Amino acid sequence: MSRPSTGTRPRLGRSLLRLFTVQGSWNYERMQGVGIGVAEEPLLRDLRGDATDNGVAYRAAVARGAHFFNAHPYLCGLAVGAAARAEHDGVPPDQIERLRTALCGPLGSLGDRLVWAGWLPFTSGLALIAVALGLGLSAILTFVVVYNVGHVALRWWALRAGWTYGAQVAQALRQPVLQRATALSGPAMALVVGAALPLVAQHLSSAFFGWARVALAAVVAGGFALLWWQRARLTGVRLGLAMLAVAALVGWLWP
Amino acid sequence: MSLELQLLLLVWGTLVGLDLVSVPQAMIARPIVAGPIAGAILGDIGTGLQLGVLFELFQYDILPMGATRYPEYGPATVAAVSAAHAAAGTLGLGLGALVGLITGMVGGLSLHAVRQLNTRAVRRAAVALEAGDPRVLERLHAASILRDGLRAAVVTALGLALAQVARAYLAGTLPPHGIALLNVAAVGSALAAGAAGTLRLVGRGPSLRWFAAGVVGGTIVAFLR
Repeated sequence: MSRPSTGTRPRLGRSLLRLFTVQGSWNYERMQGVGIGVAEEPLLRDLRGDATDNGVAYRAAVARGAHFFNAHPYLCGLAVGAAARAEHDGVPPDQIERLRTALCGPLGSLGDRLVWAGWLPFTSGLALIAVALGLGLSAILTFVVVYNVGHVALRWWALRAGWTYGAQVAQALRQPVLQRATALSGPAMALVVGAALPLVAQHLSSAFFGWARVALAAVVAGGFALLWWQRARLTGVRLGLAMLAVAALVGWLWP
Repeated sequence: MSLELQLLLLVWGTLVGLDLVSVPQAMIARPIVAGPIAGAILGDIGTGLQLGVLFELFQYDILPMGATRYPEYGPATVAAVSAAHAAAGTLGLGLGALVGLITGMVGGLSLHAVRQLNTRAVRRAAVALEAGDPRVLERLHAASILRDGLRAAVVTALGLALAQVARAYLAGTLPPHGIALLNVAAVGSALAAGAAGTLRLVGRGPSLRWFAAGVVGGTIVAFLR
């Protein structure tokens, strides 16, 4: 067992900075594993100082850190902190591997609900509403700032919680604030994006008059029906390209 | 458009492409950000905002989870704004959407290609990684980020080139009602994609009622404006 040195804050800071690149080496074999290993390495440097084993524990921990891992990128810090702390606490290697494996599913699912299906569409929906109401570039800059306050806070909380709890990291995931945020993010996102859609429709269609408005309503209704019923085969990009091709052909043939 | 402006768009598109997956995922890759900043570079924030909103709706059709493949709309929006800015009159939106959607598809394919290259690099370094060599680990990671930066630059450059070609060969060939139809198709498919994507995200649970309340509220505000 090797207790971490007292000056851990700079190392946590270095690890946090590296976590911003965690998906930089995403691949089909280890997925985020290499990025996780890079982010964990600063927290493992204390193990290097153990002169009795000639750095074997440090290298073994670095190798374990780079094994397969996949979760939500903003919450990877939880696994990085927990695994690094467990290495310092002398938890057996196979238990650390099991801890990492066990964290993939919950961190992926929590992050997807909290960020990809919550915070991100919620803040982007607010930005869409603001642009539709004429706030312009200031709405965009506000979106970037507000979104990233939540983004950076979540990354920092995850790393700190992982480092604090170590192998007992499951306790961090049961915190009431996290549970409440997850429960609220879905309805809040639905309300805001629901409100954004008619406002954006009005904003984008303001240049259309007469027959063009009727055609727009038909394209939206038909496109929505196609995307809904053919969701396994049809994507937004394919629908868009198909509609543009049909429009160009009809427009070219129209006398 | 001057070479300086094209280079600035290339740099912005590269940063946007890097942000999507590699560094730092601060959401400058969202079309609602990428478009207006591209517009500001060109001195045409209005076009940037219009196309940013349009592609943000297409973005709602995507959930970037795990190994799923999806179009990349960040550099695509930059290319779309470039195409729309120089197209005179009302052709902008439709022409921009055409260039942007094609660039988005290319971007999605390039992401898959880079991930395959990363996989090969990881396999080649497997022995050193299993030995716990931190220098190999960091070099591998840095090389992958550089690879993604190069990918983003190539996708943006292709998009900007496509914008030039579209402006040169498509602008002027369509009659006014053809141009209006192209714009209708672009806006209509974006709204359809945005609505369908959001409803999939909302699901049939309790959030559906909140979504309905939002639609009603948004419609009332739109009606009163």
